[in-house]
Amino acid sequence: MQLLSPCTNLEENLVLFHYGELPPPERFSLEQHLSGCANCTAYLKDLNALLPLTVKADEPPETFWMDYSRELRHKIAEVRERRFWPARFAAFFQPRLLPAFGAVVVLALALTFTLGKRIWQSDELPREEEALMEVLPVAEDLDFFKTMDVLDNLDVLELMANPGAA
Amino acid sequence: MRAGDEELVRLAQGGNEQAFEELVERHKQKAYHIAFDFCRDREDAKDLSQDAFLKAFVNLKNFDGRSSFYTWFYRILVNLCLDYKRRLKRSPTDSFDETSEPQMERSHEPSQPRSPDQQVLTRQMSRRVDAALQALPAKQRTAFILKNHQGLSIKEIAELMQTAEGTVKVHLHRAVTALRHSLAEFV
Repeated sequence: MQLLSPCTNLEENLVLFHYGELPPPERFSLEQHLSGCANCTAYLKDLNALLPLTVKADEPPETFWMDYSRELRHKIAEVRERRFWPARFAAFFQPRLLPAFGAVVVLALALTFTLGKRIWQSDELPREEEALMEVLPVAEDLDFFKTMDVLDNLDVLELMANPGAA
Repeated sequence: MRAGDEELVRLAQGGNEQAFEELVERHKQKAYHIAFDFCRDREDAKDLSQDAFLKAFVNLKNFDGRSSFYTWFYRILVNLCLDYKRRLKRSPTDSFDETSEPQMERSHEPSQPRSPDQQVLTRQMSRRVDAALQALPAKQRTAFILKNHQGLSIKEIAELMQTAEGTVKVHLHRAVTALRHSLAEFV
């Protein structure tokens, strides 16, 4: 079918006129133009005939709307449930709880490092270790005493070999 | 006295479940009809509009009231509808099929008994209208549906599409011109 072309410069205004969106000064001007232009009048007539055909309203029954609301409530409840636990977890990281959370972390780190380096342990040794510490120097001097014994024995042997020398 | 949307939003943001349910009750029919205009399928329209409510529920804390709840919510819905169309285009099994009966026909309760010839003609025209609407670029289709089907003002459409009113007028004009040529045989 051959479509009649409206005046090119007025085509957009004709669409707005069809929808009642053309402001008064331009509307009056267009109405005057339409009274003398067959093509623009035909264009407007086409729009009036064609555009309502593109609308297909759907009116579902009442039961549809009841199901709609019930289904949506169910879906919202599911979303709320899914969001509950992550939200509780995330609550620990809320700004007002961050200082407390930070303090706990710092305290835990401080205890870990200081205990690792035995800063909190007493300098006093247990009783058994104390006794061992007393014996150790004596044990270190044992060789000296053994050497002294050998020298004494040498003196005795020299006296036996040269009795006159004493 | 009936609370306004903004008051209900404020209550819902504070955890009042009834307030959000009231918002749903207020907007569900319009939301459904907008979704239906985009997808022309009853079940898909229900899912899309419900998804929009769910998305609004999840993001309600981020709603700062700079625009009205109405604009904010319908923007979410229209974006979901456009995503749906994009997904449909990518999926070959869901593409327009001449042999299948359009859902739109099933969605309508005929007000009067129609002759077989009339039914065939109506069905054929529905297919052509569907195809013509689907062929429109997303912005033109959105502007056209919101104006022609939903009767929103140019100003409301511009707010919803986050664009200038002049741009909406251009989209609308181009959409109407394209549809007029596609559906010339029905004029």
